Amino acid sequence: MHKIFAIIRREFIERVRQRWFWIMALLAPLLFAGIIGYQILLAGGGKLKNIVVVDATGAGLGTRLAEQFAKGNTFRATAIPLTPGVLDSLAGVVERKQLDGFVILPATLAEDGKAEYRASNVSSLNAMDALESSLNRLVVLARLEAAGVDPHVVDRAQIRVTVATKKLVGGKATEESSGSSFLLAYMMAILLFITILTYGVNVMSSVLEEKTNRVVEVLVSSVKPFQLLFGKVIGVGAVSLFQFVIWGISGRFLLSQRAAIMGRMGATATQSGFSLPNVPVETLIVFLAFFVGGFLLYSAMFAAVGAMSSNEQEARQVQQPVVYLLMISYLSILGLTNDPNSTLSTVLSMFPFTSPIAMPVRWAAGNLSAVDVVISWAILAGCILAVTWVASRIYRVGILMTGKRPNPKELLRWIRTA
Amino acid sequence: MPAPAVELDRVTKRFAGHLAVDALSLQVPPGTIFGLLGPNGAGKSTTIRMLMHIHVPDEGTIRLFGEDGKTGRDQSARIGYLPEERGLYPKMRVLDVLIFLAQMKGVDRAKARTLALQWLDRLGLADWRMRRVNELSKGMQQKVQVISTLLHEPDLLVLDEPFSGLDPVNAQVLKDTVLDLRKKGKTILLSTHIMEQAEQLCDAVCIIARGRKLVDGPLSEVKRTHGGRHVHVAFDGASGDAERLFADPRLVTKKESTGQYAELELAAGADAQDILKGLVSSGARLAKFELAEPSLNKIFVDLVGPEAATAAAHPEVARA
Repeated sequence: MHKIFAIIRREFIERVRQRWFWIMALLAPLLFAGIIGYQILLAGGGKLKNIVVVDATGAGLGTRLAEQFAKGNTFRATAIPLTPGVLDSLAGVVERKQLDGFVILPATLAEDGKAEYRASNVSSLNAMDALESSLNRLVVLARLEAAGVDPHVVDRAQIRVTVATKKLVGGKATEESSGSSFLLAYMMAILLFITILTYGVNVMSSVLEEKTNRVVEVLVSSVKPFQLLFGKVIGVGAVSLFQFVIWGISGRFLLSQRAAIMGRMGATATQSGFSLPNVPVETLIVFLAFFVGGFLLYSAMFAAVGAMSSNEQEARQVQQPVVYLLMISYLSILGLTNDPNSTLSTVLSMFPFTSPIAMPVRWAAGNLSAVDVVISWAILAGCILAVTWVASRIYRVGILMTGKRPNPKELLRWIRTA
Repeated sequence: MPAPAVELDRVTKRFAGHLAVDALSLQVPPGTIFGLLGPNGAGKSTTIRMLMHIHVPDEGTIRLFGEDGKTGRDQSARIGYLPEERGLYPKMRVLDVLIFLAQMKGVDRAKARTLALQWLDRLGLADWRMRRVNELSKGMQQKVQVISTLLHEPDLLVLDEPFSGLDPVNAQVLKDTVLDLRKKGKTILLSTHIMEQAEQLCDAVCIIARGRKLVDGPLSEVKRTHGGRHVHVAFDGASGDAERLFADPRLVTKKESTGQYAELELAAGADAQDILKGLVSSGARLAKFELAEPSLNKIFVDLVGPEAATAAAHPEVARA
């Protein structure tokens, strides 16, 4: 025990002493805030667009559209009538970037519902949505009025239905919106992916370092290889948890400042559909449980990779399959959050090589019963035992080998005879 | 008689079908310096790694300090091991490395720290204790490695090619340390293929080649039984009848002569005094006439020569 503790201590202290640890610890939350801010900006459709509405309908639709836009924060518009040459001169203004674009409302708009938007950038889906729905409302109104319907009735008929999403937890509605659920799930997935990968690779380099330095020979003449591996994994794991503590503290600080941050980005929570979520205790527990499981599983595999390789380049090649395995669940984040109860989501959250990321994401996005989580974790735990058994056998033989990388047949022999 | 510090009984180790060590038996008496000698690829490192329980023998038994059923790892606190390929954690501080490695040998932190500081001071590295290992020169790193081998005050030191890569100053430091430890009653087992060093240091030797033992025993005995009788002659000008005497097969079986100097191996039953008389009476002027023991190097080359020329070139063995 004394020796294992010394190994854990060394792994922890040496890592925490390194400069990159503190850079990661302090920079990551800022980076994270940046990523989220960027997403909010994207979702918000970017900055306000200044446009001109060219109205050929003669029914004042242009002016009413401009009034509509003034209430939102996607467009600011000025209405002008269609006169000869106006389109060309407007095109010139857009070319000189003094205007973002212009909408043409043809005289036939009310009949065939066709309008046109010309701009230098037409790729913002959000802006197009806003434009179409505003126009739609006006045209419908115009058609109804033309049919003799009382404008007041039309107005009342047009009060929009909004669906407020409230997540049910334990049969009670919470204030959590679907947007913040998604954001939480998304953040957790990224965090899990990055940390499992980073610290798994850390275990790998640690194994490789001792192997290339040949320190390992002195070590295994004093401790069992399994003790060495165990101490290493626990030591590196402790560093990762320490990192989470630091992130947790800085994250709390960011949360406390979220209104200010979002204000800075020119977005309000209601408008973008996003708000920085609260993290319920249950979610935190699920997150940590699956992080620990995922880390143990993947660090055992990374340790085996390190033991199989003789240098960094070789290790980088051998680690590819392990990284891809981890990436499966990372690449499935969108599918998982969009439909947490699909068959794919269920399979990914039960399969032990993807569940460390998939399960917390499903948990945060949807509402799972604790039973599912426990089953998934039990499968994961069983898999950890099996993988660790295999990995420690590869480790035992591999750390003393230099030179040629083993082929699959030799690997099997290592596992059998170690 | 005390139990041997190290006792190998018909120990065999195979790698992927290749025989690295073949039924090797040997005994290292406590309190001696024992040399495990052999050409490259003879199985020295494999033997040593089996002692340390890094490799497990396929057959045979290894006993350390006369204790049954305890491996080198079980008794690692009593053993100091310097592997052939050296290495330390390059980014750790010198003092931390020493404390950590001592902890691996079961020394507690506080004591390890005190001992490490004493040793660093003794070998002139006190000022470097808070530096990272990779800031040290190679020679200094070697000293640190030697300290890490000795720090926990082991009863048995196992040194695999301890002098390879050492500069003369550090080699002398190591030699003095080894001799000093023997004086304190410790046992030292070292492997080398440099015979001059073995000859200077070892009380007993075992010469192996291709995994098999060729000869072992106290150095003086090995020399007596395996070297034959030798005469070194140096002339001071005139060499008299030397040429005829040295060519006489009743007196000399082998000679290496460079005019003013000759090394002779006496024929069986010949008396060196007859050669001396013959030389003096024929008017030779002698600077030296010495009844010499053969050098260990000569015994080694004689024994191993043909074997070494065909030393196993199995890729896995040399490294594994």
